[in-house]
Amino acid sequence: MQMNHHRPGRNLHPEKVSLNNWKQTVKRILNYLAFARGKLILVFFLTIFTTMATIVGNRVNGIVVDQFLSANKMHTLFVICGLMAVMYIVASICTYFQNAIIIKVAQRASAAIRHDIFAQLQRLPLRYFDTHDKGDVMSRLTNDVDNINTAMMQTFVQLFTGIISVVGMGVAMLLLSPLLTLIVLLSSIMTYIFTRIVAKITQKAFVTQQDALGALNTQIEESVSGKQVIQLFDHEAQTMGTFNKTNERYTKAAFRAQAFSSMIGPINNGTNNVAYLVITAAGAFSILTHSSTITVGTIFTFLIYLRNFTGPINNILDLLNTLQLSLASAERVFEVIDEKPEKDIKHALAMTHTKGNVAFEHVDFAYGLQQILHDVNISAKQGQVIALVGPTGAGKTTIMNLLTNLYPLSKGRVLLDKHDVTSIKRSNLRRLVTVVQQEPFMFSLSIKENIRLGRMNATDEDVRLAAKRANADNFIMQLRDGYDTILSENAHNISQGQRQLLSIARAFIAEAPVLVLDEATASIDSNTESDVQKAMTDLMQDKTSFVIAHRLSTIRNADQICVIDAGRVVECGTHDELLQKNGAYARLYNSQFS
Amino acid sequence: MFKIVMQHTHGLSRWCFFLAPLVMLIEVFCDLQQPTLMSDIVDHGLAKGDMQYVVHTALLMLLFALLGVLVGAGSGVLGNYASLRMGAHLRSHMLTIALNKREASNLAPATLITRITNDVTQMQNLVMILTRGMVRSPMLMFGGIVMSLIVCPNLAPILLVIISSLIIFLLFIMRRSIPLYTKMQQRVDGMNRVMRENLQGIKTIKAFVLEKHQLTQFKQANDKLLNSSIRASMATVTLSPIIQVMLNLGVVIALAYGGQLKVNGTILDGQIIAFVNYMIQITNAMVMTVNIITAFSRAITSATRVQAVLNETKGEVAVGTIANAPSGSSIEFSHVTFGYQQSRPILNDVSFKIAEGKWLGIIGATGSGKSALINLLTRSFDNYQGTIRIGGVDIKDMDLVAVHHKVTVAMQDAMLFSGTIRHNLTFGAVQASETQLDSAANVADATEFIKKLPRKYDAIVEQNGKNFSGGQRQRLNIARAVVPDPDILVLDDATSAVDQTTNALIQKRLLETRSGRTTIIISQRVTNIMHCDEILVMTDGQLTDQGTHTQLLKTSPFYAQLVETQLGGGRYYADESSSSRT
Repeated sequence: MQMNHHRPGRNLHPEKVSLNNWKQTVKRILNYLAFARGKLILVFFLTIFTTMATIVGNRVNGIVVDQFLSANKMHTLFVICGLMAVMYIVASICTYFQNAIIIKVAQRASAAIRHDIFAQLQRLPLRYFDTHDKGDVMSRLTNDVDNINTAMMQTFVQLFTGIISVVGMGVAMLLLSPLLTLIVLLSSIMTYIFTRIVAKITQKAFVTQQDALGALNTQIEESVSGKQVIQLFDHEAQTMGTFNKTNERYTKAAFRAQAFSSMIGPINNGTNNVAYLVITAAGAFSILTHSSTITVGTIFTFLIYLRNFTGPINNILDLLNTLQLSLASAERVFEVIDEKPEKDIKHALAMTHTKGNVAFEHVDFAYGLQQILHDVNISAKQGQVIALVGPTGAGKTTIMNLLTNLYPLSKGRVLLDKHDVTSIKRSNLRRLVTVVQQEPFMFSLSIKENIRLGRMNATDEDVRLAAKRANADNFIMQLRDGYDTILSENAHNISQGQRQLLSIARAFIAEAPVLVLDEATASIDSNTESDVQKAMTDLMQDKTSFVIAHRLSTIRNADQICVIDAGRVVECGTHDELLQKNGAYARLYNSQFS
Repeated sequence: MFKIVMQHTHGLSRWCFFLAPLVMLIEVFCDLQQPTLMSDIVDHGLAKGDMQYVVHTALLMLLFALLGVLVGAGSGVLGNYASLRMGAHLRSHMLTIALNKREASNLAPATLITRITNDVTQMQNLVMILTRGMVRSPMLMFGGIVMSLIVCPNLAPILLVIISSLIIFLLFIMRRSIPLYTKMQQRVDGMNRVMRENLQGIKTIKAFVLEKHQLTQFKQANDKLLNSSIRASMATVTLSPIIQVMLNLGVVIALAYGGQLKVNGTILDGQIIAFVNYMIQITNAMVMTVNIITAFSRAITSATRVQAVLNETKGEVAVGTIANAPSGSSIEFSHVTFGYQQSRPILNDVSFKIAEGKWLGIIGATGSGKSALINLLTRSFDNYQGTIRIGGVDIKDMDLVAVHHKVTVAMQDAMLFSGTIRHNLTFGAVQASETQLDSAANVADATEFIKKLPRKYDAIVEQNGKNFSGGQRQRLNIARAVVPDPDILVLDDATSAVDQTTNALIQKRLLETRSGRTTIIISQRVTNIMHCDEILVMTDGQLTDQGTHTQLLKTSPFYAQLVETQLGGGRYYADESSSSRT
């Protein structure tokens, strides 16, 4: 009979998954469920009860047809029907509780997993984020946790009820009639074999389809986002030509794959119908020839069992696969949770003040096997301005990252007031050194909240003052909601220059004695540019400052200019000294100003 | 929605679209015969001991089963053909519209992409649903009701009561749960946002020690999501137990009531069995129908989104008549006013003239209308007032191909296409020779890194050129504009991401190769434009100042201040008093 036969061909080609240590993974998932142990045991018994109720109920239907549909047994019929009604109602109530409990428990457990993985992300070192794709981490946080949730909410229960149903019904059927059981089993096996055959036939087409779909989507994305280039170079015809070819390839492959797999439904349905008629015919034949104990009621029972048996058997195979996928998801999630977090050394120094004397002494740094910095020596006294210049990729930003202990160095040391920065508590160190990034990040909070991120206990007046000092107050007040303007995601509702002003305001409010300014490479709005420069200059007052400069014009008056190239400090000195020396700096300078 | 399907199915695929549901009806009909025939076997064959009747009827059942498989599979093939062909056609149509559209679109590229990819796939599903699911489940339900009424009219009231109460119940649940699920989706989005921002802003978080703050934010979002997903799930949790109990109670009542009728002699065993079977069939079909309606309503939203794209057709550029570009390369803007929306002009009465072979620099703040000048010059937009002439010919009279042959542009957003470097560089000149590529690469200072690649010009460019750095992409972008050796070359802030040394080098090479040829340079950096023959200063859509570098230093306070900021030197740590804003 018709169960959900028109299932899409989604599970036709299960992903191959390899599990490293599924026992351990299952154990850890169970740990997340441990808080509800009692409830889950209750669910276990409820499930057994409801499944048994279905099996028994179906059998009783058959008995009723055979024995109680006659005049002298009317009373018994009503009693039995009444009992069955009660049983069904109770079973349904049980199903309700079973589902409700499972949903709540699973949701809570997923929320706990989500929390743990997010909390872990707060502890991971920067290197983890450098080496892991954002999209990948994001998908572990979302899709993988969802998969675990589904596994807990549906897969476990369905698998469990499925197995009980199949075993229970199998036994009941065997007891009733081995012959009819064989028919039911055969039909289940046939269904399975058909599905596999179709899967095999369509395998190649499905791969081509996925492949072509990927190419198709890429082309659509590129054509739409590069529309103007295509128009300006009159490339429309070629673009459409390539696209139509891929479109055709996709459509053909998809047709081959999907037309075949859409046959699975009707074929399985047909198999079921054949089983249906064979049961009826074989049953009728046995009754007429009195060759066995089969009755009309037996036929009736089997017709219903047929429906309930084939479904779960096919389901179990699907579910086992889903379960594997979920376990693979869980492994990916636990992998993040097991990453080594950033940790302060034992008895790390709690440092709340600094004069701002900084020294890099013989610093080597390697990223994996690749050595990035070689014997870097730079020192800055309290209140000085040190400029770092040099080509992109020379290692300027990397040097500054070591100052806030974002990466472990391989040799040498970085000192802040004579203390090795690795011996200072990270949370203290990073409050003493403020970094204004090249591309500052704004959260989708209000402008006020974004500035306040510099120092969480700052008052609204502090925020306003910092914005004023950063030359940001003007543009903020021109916005309709002023300081309460909510920034859109990635702060697209303000210009890049304005984002920079906000990040300077953030740095003002942080009031750190040491400052790192990473100038933006990309040109910003020339209107805002002078504001930004002025604000940065103000910000540097009375602080030890490091400026990573891309335009030499801005740093002529620095106390020290260090030219960095290929991870080495090539030369250091004042503007005039270096020009006189006629070395690397002079060459850089002349290339830009002649 | 139906209109979209009709517009994008032709010939065979349209036949398939109409045939698929008709064939599906036959499958439903076949399915519905089984319980009735079964009851005939029980009531007529068994009761009378008529073996021949049993065999005949069984054969008839087999026939129906086989026919069912045949037409079912056939309908699947037909439906698939219709839906996939429609999808292919629709995709191609939408992309053509997107590429031909020149006016500013209401649809951002990201939405447009989703619409051409996901929404078209949804539309394909929609056609499958329309041709198959929408026919099968409701017809099974309806047919089941009819058949059970025919087989045993006596038990009909039971069916009526159960079905109508189930329908009411389903409607009630749907009404209650849909808003809850919408809410849950919003919460999911909210939580994803916190996560995404945490990943994107990780440096800021580390720099300001915001880890605890982030965790608090996340906890709030996570708790909200937890509550709302539990609420949404709990709203539908009654669904399966209620359907289950209704169905089972129906069976029990049918047995009890049927038993009584049997005693009266108005009903037979087989009829009761068939009735129960039909009831199971109807309930299943009903659940399926609900699922299909949900899928359908999702797909309908896609249809609306697709239709919005299809409606974009209007307002394409009128094609000019002059097929050959004029030989002259002077440029003249005369009283040009332009706005994407009528109310807010981007350009306001702009007039200037530049003689053939001269260099023009344009400087001004973001949004001052610099790029709009170029968009008009290349006829990306036609709906402006005033006249623009190239070589003395109104560009509106020129064929688009002629304009684009005359003018090539390197835009700030260095869009590269997946393929090879060669494929990208020859965009404007398909037949370009190796020498042309070499010299263009040289101008853009791209030779060095291209030659380092093992496959040189045939090196693979990945999607969006992501295997190249921002600076490299911009250099390839410049080379692409230089390859056709255009009479007029435009660089629209095209070196914003390259470092200053490279920038200076590119400027130098351009000066060498394009002296005496019309060249327009748009930039925010004074160094890039100071050597131009003529410099335009744009402010809020108006041409505020015009002249050479030396002239502007005197006449334009804005320009003078820019020069001071950018070239003045030593701003950091020097005085901070002297800057006055315009």
